Amino acid sequence: MSLPSKAFQRWLHGVAPGVSTSDVCRASGVKRTTLAQQMVRGKVAESSLVRISRALELNPVSALASFDSYADLRGTPVAPTDAELISQIAAMDLLRAVIARNDPGAPQRFELVAVPHETSVRSWVEAIDDGELRHRVSHATGIAPQNFSAHLTANRMPPELAVATAREAGVGPAGGLIASGLVSEEEAGWPIGARRAALDRLGTADLVSLAGDRLQALGKSLHRQEHEKDRTERIWENLG
Amino acid sequence: MTAALPWLTLVVCVALTAVRVPSAIRGQNRTMFFLFALLSVDILLSIREPYLALDAVLGGFNLANLLLRFLLYGSFLLLGVRTAAAFGSSAGMRAIRGPVGMAVLALVAVLTAWIFFSMDTRGSTAGLSGLPQTASLESYAALGRLYPGYVAACLLPGIWQAVRGSGPALLRLASGTLFLGFCLLLLSQGFPLVPESASWLRPAINYSAALASALGLGGIWLSKSLARRRARG
Repeated sequence: MSLPSKAFQRWLHGVAPGVSTSDVCRASGVKRTTLAQQMVRGKVAESSLVRISRALELNPVSALASFDSYADLRGTPVAPTDAELISQIAAMDLLRAVIARNDPGAPQRFELVAVPHETSVRSWVEAIDDGELRHRVSHATGIAPQNFSAHLTANRMPPELAVATAREAGVGPAGGLIASGLVSEEEAGWPIGARRAALDRLGTADLVSLAGDRLQALGKSLHRQEHEKDRTERIWENLG
Repeated sequence: MTAALPWLTLVVCVALTAVRVPSAIRGQNRTMFFLFALLSVDILLSIREPYLALDAVLGGFNLANLLLRFLLYGSFLLLGVRTAAAFGSSAGMRAIRGPVGMAVLALVAVLTAWIFFSMDTRGSTAGLSGLPQTASLESYAALGRLYPGYVAACLLPGIWQAVRGSGPALLRLASGTLFLGFCLLLLSQGFPLVPESASWLRPAINYSAALASALGLGGIWLSKSLARRRARG
């Protein structure tokens, strides 16, 4: 979904009075035509708001929180659970950690790849899912389960759905926004180094099984991609 | 509108043949070049003026129409085999090139020729529309629609898979257009049900089917060219 243009205009006027739309666009890198189109349709994309807030040196999560549909984001940031933190570590970093624990000669303090990684949305949902989560989200928001799954497969999630998913799971509201790449960890108030600390707290046995699960999921997704690529190539080969 | 549609279809087919000339010279995918050239000839022969010109050479008893039928059967055999291979439809491939498909083609071809020569077809007329509307003529026309319809039916499931898949957007759009064209070919099986007052619907459906199929194939070619160009940087 998106933000109503009336509310967006009121917000923009409130945070940057007297600044013209074209200046805002130039500073934020949002295309003027894009923003104008979103305003006319009455739906301003959250990603536009985030880029504009960054350009105005405002915290994008607080900016989002000023809209009624994102009221969940108001107040002090809720600390992420360890499972959430670990879900935002890329599979390859988990593998590096496995190697580091089993081989003292391997690099021990490697830099974690920035969020989001290639399966961060699915991993986040799996980390907060008690088994009934998808059912509750679909009930609360009206999204069909197969559409929810499609988002996970495509590694994306509309911001409103991300917040609703966090609400149904009872975790901090911003986790899904981080996992879908809309805002950064720092912007959402995740402590610096929190992912690394959670990784260090994770027992080796859990780490190894988690890395194994991720590797298996990665294999599946690669298989799917290769299959789709073969299919495309065959069409081009014969008819192109 | 209905008068411009045949010419538009012809222009599209000729253009799509032309864009394949460079790669055909390089020896890549010559089959598709021949297929498009064949389709262009099919469309050309179904338009009144070129039809009358050729038929006059062939003796003025509508032999050009029979020739057109056989060219169409050939085009659809080629198109069917290629499309089934492209969309990885082994069932479709068997149904077109296997014993059943060949039997259907042979039967349709023999019946078409037999009915044609048993009719009095003197007096050149495009689409045989000027001949007396007899039962023989009806069956002759139905046979001409049957084989393309059969091929289309064999290919639809395979193409639908690609439309629903997650390939490049343009490729899916093009596959969807091809799908639409083949659906129209199936729809054309119901021509006897079209009332006389709406007879313009028949050529409209026929040429829309040809146009959609050609545009779909052209879109597949375009998506490939764009992807190759992007890959080269």
